[in-house]
Amino acid sequence: MVFLLGLALVAGTASADDKKGGKKGGGAPPAGGGAQGGGGAGGAGGAGEPEIEIEGEGGGEIDMGAPEPGPGDLNADLAAQDAQQNAVKAGPIKRTPLSWKDILVVVRKPFLKARRTELLPLFGTTMNDNMVRHYTLGGELSYYLTDVLAIGVEGQYYIHSFREPFDLVARQARRLPTVNQYNWSAALNFHYVPVYGKFAVLDKKLVTWEVYFTAGIGAGQSEVVPRDTKFPGFTNLLIMPNVGASMRFFLAKWLTVSLGIRDYIFYDKFEPTDRSPTMNATADQAKDNSTGSLINNVMFQVGISFWLPTSFEYTTFR
Amino acid sequence: MKNILLATIAVLGVTSAAYAERRLNNLSKDVAVRHRRLLVKNRFELTPLFESTINADFRHIVGGGLKLEYHLGDMLSIGILGVGSTAIDTGLVKKIKPTLETSTDNATREPSLAEFNAHLNSMPLPGAAYVSLTPWYGKLAAFSQAFVAFDFYFQAGLSYAQLKSDCPTTICSDPAPGMSSGPGGMNPPDNNPNNDAPLNDGSRLGLYLGAGIHVFLSDFIALDLTIRDYAFSDNPSGADFNANLAVTSDDSRFLHHLFFGVGVSIMFPTTVKRTP
Repeated sequence: MVFLLGLALVAGTASADDKKGGKKGGGAPPAGGGAQGGGGAGGAGGAGEPEIEIEGEGGGEIDMGAPEPGPGDLNADLAAQDAQQNAVKAGPIKRTPLSWKDILVVVRKPFLKARRTELLPLFGTTMNDNMVRHYTLGGELSYYLTDVLAIGVEGQYYIHSFREPFDLVARQARRLPTVNQYNWSAALNFHYVPVYGKFAVLDKKLVTWEVYFTAGIGAGQSEVVPRDTKFPGFTNLLIMPNVGASMRFFLAKWLTVSLGIRDYIFYDKFEPTDRSPTMNATADQAKDNSTGSLINNVMFQVGISFWLPTSFEYTTFR
Repeated sequence: MKNILLATIAVLGVTSAAYAERRLNNLSKDVAVRHRRLLVKNRFELTPLFESTINADFRHIVGGGLKLEYHLGDMLSIGILGVGSTAIDTGLVKKIKPTLETSTDNATREPSLAEFNAHLNSMPLPGAAYVSLTPWYGKLAAFSQAFVAFDFYFQAGLSYAQLKSDCPTTICSDPAPGMSSGPGGMNPPDNNPNNDAPLNDGSRLGLYLGAGIHVFLSDFIALDLTIRDYAFSDNPSGADFNANLAVTSDDSRFLHHLFFGVGVSIMFPTTVKRTP
């Protein structure tokens, strides 16, 4: 029993030492490895392999050549990156970097989008219509040509509900509102990402985010809600350019959350005010005599994006 | 057999401990951000601001005011704000007004233009006292050129609003809306809410919620963007809401008044401390 325990302790310590030495000096040699081998406490690592040894206040060690976190683990990436940066500031450096790969010029972006496809299921709601509130269910498929420029297509299905003033105006002012509901829309969009950054949540966790602008052109359909149900409504095919701004928060290498505001601009046609059995009775007559107006349909949209491929590789050094 | 089992457990325990030691260093207990500029801690924030309602039903409320806030720490602050405002008719009101009759006809339920207009209220002075939490702070790069610090904050507290409506007695002439009047109640209710007083002026207390972002243009100047919700009891149209053919206090209901505000925050003192 004692023998076995002793063996276990020795094996454990030896295992730890091996790993320590291996981490410090025995990592995979970088492509541009320096000529000198490591030394110091962990110097048992292979000669000819570059290393950095950093001694903190408590004698902690950081291995700059630590293995990369697994694919899809954005948090691990960020943690490793921050640990490396903090480690460099942590205390006196015994030896200078021996490899040009170890020189940190610019902190690399934690999330790359170039040549990746974003699938974004969307939920939206109207922000600027005090008579009808529309909810949308839809999605957008975007392909990022570069890290800041993308092209995409979107489609939305609209569900409407009447807000309080729709009823109040009828009861209080004795006026029946003229409103249209929207049925669907689709658009070809371009996205540009000019702003990116990171923030700390409760002084603990770092989250990266970015702001992107969207401009697009599309089509949609609106439908007249008849004031008097005796008379039929009619539909309008709309040309719908749109502009917007959104924020994207990075949760993993394949998962992001987006929220933003989009303004869909179009010229819509409304039911004429004078409908009777002898005037504008049919849908075609009403449409011919409809009145038009330029509409800004401002929507708040939120969605969760899935990215393909689900991971990425850096093509430049850190 | 028992010895082998104990030995195996001992081996697992020792190697696990060794593994844990390998993975940790002194940075594991370190702060997330070192040498951080304490852009708000122990500073006064004075913010001249402009704000406007979002998606108001009958009247947009727009105005300018001042926010004064003291940041007790990195994340917690207390503040007050007040805004002097004016009212602008919404598109809905602009569409309704031209269709209303200019003369009063008590035989119909339709309000005249003067009756409709006199019942709408405005909000000359919205304000709030609140506690603010700033859980997120960070930095951003715009066009790879401008690197600025920012933070997100959330506010909750009490709202105050001074409401105003001005219905002259020539229009709001019903002395007892919804009730019989005259000696012995000989006059029955007129069932005409258009000549009732709107009852939508005076002071209101309610709840206040807000969320916003500071974008620091320098160590002591920040762009301040906020969404505010002043929630209190109100009847913006001043008309009969519950369809009892009279305007009474029962027609008021708890409503959210959403505003978007933009301001420039000036921090005092103007110098910034840093974390270790």
